[in-house]
Amino acid sequence: MTTFSIGALQVDRSGIPVIRGVDLEARGGEISVLLGSNGAGKTTFLESLSGIIPVRSGFINLDGVELAKLRPGARAKAGLSHVEQGRTVFPAMTTEENLKVALHPDADLKEAYDLFPELLQRRNVEAGMLSGGEQQMVVIARSIVNRPRVILIDEMSSGLAPVIVSRLMRAVRQLADDGMAVVLVEQFAALALAIGNRAYVLRRGQIVYDGDCAALAGDPAHLHRLYLGDAAA
Amino acid sequence: MKHASFRAAATTALLLAVLGALIFFLLPKYWVFLVTAVFIVGIALQSLGLVTGRTGMISLCQMSFAGVGAWVTGYLNLIGAPGGLAVWMLIGGLAAVPVGIAIGLPALRLRGINLAIVTLGFAAAFDTVLATITFPGQTTFTQVVRPEAFDSDKGYFLFVLLTYGVIAVVLEFVSRSRLGAAWLAVRHSERAAAANGISIPRAKLSAFAISAFISGISGGLLAGYLGTLVSENFSMMQSLALFAVATMAGAHFALGAIAGGMMIVLFPELLRRLNLPQDVGNVFFALGAVQALSTGETIAETWMRLARKLRPTRAVEAATAAGSLPDKTSHPAGIALEVRDLTVRYGTVTALDKVNLKVPAGTVVGLVGPNGAGKSTLVDAIAGFLYRYDGSILLNGSPLEAISATSRSKLGIRRTWQTTRIAPELRVGEYIRLAAGPISESELESLLAWFGCPGPETLISTVDVGTRRLLDVAGAVASRAPVILLDEPAAGVSYDEALKLGERIAAIPETFGSAVLLIEHDMDLVRRACSAITVFDFGRVIAAGAPAAVLDMPVVQKAYMGVEFEEAAE
Amino acid sequence: MDSLFTAAVAGLSAGGAYAILGVCAIFTYRLVAVVNFTGAAIGAAGTFAMVALFELGMPLLPAVLFGVAAGALAGLAIGLVMTTWFTGSNASTKAAVTAALLVGIIAVGLRLTGGQHPHYFPEIIPGSAFRLAGVEVTWAAVTTLVLSVAFTLLTEQFLARTRTGLQLRALSQRPMAAELIGIRVRLLALGVWAVTGGVTAFALMIIAPLRSPDFASLSLLVVPALAAALIGAFSSFRAALIGGVMIGLIEGGVSAIGPVSQYRGAVPFLVILAVLLWSQRGARWDEAR
Repeated sequence: MTTFSIGALQVDRSGIPVIRGVDLEARGGEISVLLGSNGAGKTTFLESLSGIIPVRSGFINLDGVELAKLRPGARAKAGLSHVEQGRTVFPAMTTEENLKVALHPDADLKEAYDLFPELLQRRNVEAGMLSGGEQQMVVIARSIVNRPRVILIDEMSSGLAPVIVSRLMRAVRQLADDGMAVVLVEQFAALALAIGNRAYVLRRGQIVYDGDCAALAGDPAHLHRLYLGDAAA
Repeated sequence: MKHASFRAAATTALLLAVLGALIFFLLPKYWVFLVTAVFIVGIALQSLGLVTGRTGMISLCQMSFAGVGAWVTGYLNLIGAPGGLAVWMLIGGLAAVPVGIAIGLPALRLRGINLAIVTLGFAAAFDTVLATITFPGQTTFTQVVRPEAFDSDKGYFLFVLLTYGVIAVVLEFVSRSRLGAAWLAVRHSERAAAANGISIPRAKLSAFAISAFISGISGGLLAGYLGTLVSENFSMMQSLALFAVATMAGAHFALGAIAGGMMIVLFPELLRRLNLPQDVGNVFFALGAVQALSTGETIAETWMRLARKLRPTRAVEAATAAGSLPDKTSHPAGIALEVRDLTVRYGTVTALDKVNLKVPAGTVVGLVGPNGAGKSTLVDAIAGFLYRYDGSILLNGSPLEAISATSRSKLGIRRTWQTTRIAPELRVGEYIRLAAGPISESELESLLAWFGCPGPETLISTVDVGTRRLLDVAGAVASRAPVILLDEPAAGVSYDEALKLGERIAAIPETFGSAVLLIEHDMDLVRRACSAITVFDFGRVIAAGAPAAVLDMPVVQKAYMGVEFEEAAE
Repeated sequence: MDSLFTAAVAGLSAGGAYAILGVCAIFTYRLVAVVNFTGAAIGAAGTFAMVALFELGMPLLPAVLFGVAAGALAGLAIGLVMTTWFTGSNASTKAAVTAALLVGIIAVGLRLTGGQHPHYFPEIIPGSAFRLAGVEVTWAAVTTLVLSVAFTLLTEQFLARTRTGLQLRALSQRPMAAELIGIRVRLLALGVWAVTGGVTAFALMIIAPLRSPDFASLSLLVVPALAAALIGAFSSFRAALIGGVMIGLIEGGVSAIGPVSQYRGAVPFLVILAVLLWSQRGARWDEAR
């Protein structure tokens, strides 16, 4: 069973401390939901995990392998995949080329089309011409055929219609059920909490909530305070 | 501030005088002759430092400008123009100015790479032209006549030193003036410079013009130094080598220019004495430049950093209020800023959809909404950084359409950026003056004290990012603009500091008279600072009103969390 | 008029070489995001390696092959510098690095090749191919033209059809996303540097006999190369191909017009100026800052 654990992580962004000592654990078969308002540091957190930006201190451990000092490519080879925010397709390549370029030797394009059959009829369309929802599917599928053990997904729902978002959420749940460890970063709490196992809330670079998704979903007043602040504060 | 300029200029003059005296009286004649070249090259390096090091435009044709100056000097010598070398080289420098401006004109629109290509192309073209037309008097071996009083080699050294001194002192003043700060600001971020009311074309062209002038003078001096010139003195290779040395030594610092001049002149001499080939020098310069570019620190900067370490470290001094702040500026009452039916499209995406917003004079209005809701696009539109939008934006009732970012800033719309864009080479006081224009010493001090900022002589590079965010706000406020747009001023600031900043922002209207539009994600800060807020989602206004009431509205909670909390509001 | 035509045709082989250099410049810019001022100097290194081997008595063909390999190695060396220390730097800094390196390479090159000391440059492709309207067209001109067209088309096909080409396109479109899916970006980048080095070396070998063949002059062919690349807006291989040939033709033509013939070296500059003023007329702000 995959275990992805992060401890005492500190990350600076152009000199500003953005992540101030975060601990988090994600297990295979589970979705760990990371919530937080804008500017809380969610994206910086994921980027430091995949190696886009360096960490200042702390550890990033995937099944006993320490990743914090590795280059992004080496982290990918170690089994970590990062679906960046903003639907980072290769815009001038077709859907199929987008998938092919990431194809792991043991993987098959069929896996991608099984997860998102919608993409099959768009396989020869340039990814830049796809709709936002389709692009999001391409990016997630591209991650899958890379055969990761941990997948980090950043703000996949932003700017998408609710019906597409729930379609994507179902696919993410399926990935976890297939054994992958998922770290799902979201600004929109409700849908994520509905499919997630464990929830974390990040505020100004620190974890201010760590517990069951169901428990947080059942206590909206608490979530409200964590998100929109408190008049009494 | 003026004090500091005078002190720096006096220090430079004094150091040069002492150095000159030592060289003049202690060194043998041959060495004085060599050192003369150090200062001539030093002048050329200063000219390159101004345009490349200070303003951030790569120039690979600096010796071509020098060549123009030298050619004109040689021509005036040949026709026996009155005035002698001192006048000829000034005319030579002036002749280089239009050439510099012509090369700089494409730089109004281009930066970095394209400009590097243009200047390299010009250097190549100038090579061809110079090889064809040859220097005046080159074929007849006519010597350029030195000034009578400085005719000997030692005398000419004094003449060159004097010229170097005058240029160095003037540059010291200019670099500490608002123009000098503007050059650094342009290099660091053109948008941020425009947001402070700086005309980018003027800053760039003035840098090119002054740089070409100084370089032209160095060419004239070289003509007097060597007597006769050949086109190789000003070839493209010379320009490239000069660029490498300037990059390595840091030619925009007085120290770096002299160090670079010494390397160019004395290094080959050293190699000659060691019986090594002299062109190895260029290899050394290339490696040094690559090293400086990879560490981001030039030799001059390294020395200054080490020197600072040697001195007893002084803690960053907080500004102390010299007197009380002047009264708040009175701006027209009513609606300071109004946005009417603003629509912005990027291709097929509608970023803003018929947005309406009012910021009454004397208030702080908050603008909140999830990521990608269009908040920063709105600020860009108001401040003039979008070419095209539909709808209208009014400042005190008059529309701003078709007015540039620089002009809007001068009219009274100031903005800050999500990440701080202050050039780190500036001092605190220089930045505030850059942002505010003329401001008295006591007002500057008390403004900094009000914000809890460090004193005006503190280097920006030595203060932490949280303080720089504060300076962003302080600069905008110091301009006394009727409208100030703050784009996430508390990003990256700790929770406690954010709350403190919120209180400061809340007090801006009554203390300084400006109205504030505040974009911020931290709701506690927003609650503290704002009298009203507007909520955006998907480029539309979904709610507006008093903070507490709006933040409790279900539609707002839905925008933020993707779910409604009717029960929570009870 | 006739002499103008003759002269323009004489500029053909230079134009073909400019086109190849321009396509290489775009190749480097698109795939590893560097505007490379050392492009021609890398090629010059390969060319002089060939000449040195030839002078030592090696037959022409192996000498050419070794020369191309030397060009590839020189390109690889620059690539190592760029990928080791400047991967995260902005485009301006990278350009400044290559401009500074150019100074050092030319110095080393001049030293090793004996400065202005004349070398014998074998004509790799000698002779006249055919006569066009009474004007002799040399095999060198035909070859550089064919080569430049072939190189352009091959580059396009390689990028479109091979797995490595696919990875290179991914790398050029989104370097970070490419790295995140485990593409070996550094290896690919070094490959690009080596290939452009080798190709440039071969192009310069063909036109070296037509030029004042010292190391510095060959290295400074980077100016027409970048002018051609600018015509292609640093993205279109075909436009750069046509642009390079055009510059060669104009240069040839100018050299036939008596009063201005001495100034043909200024042609690339005027082309650069014209292209930039036209293409940048709408731009206003520095990108993303």
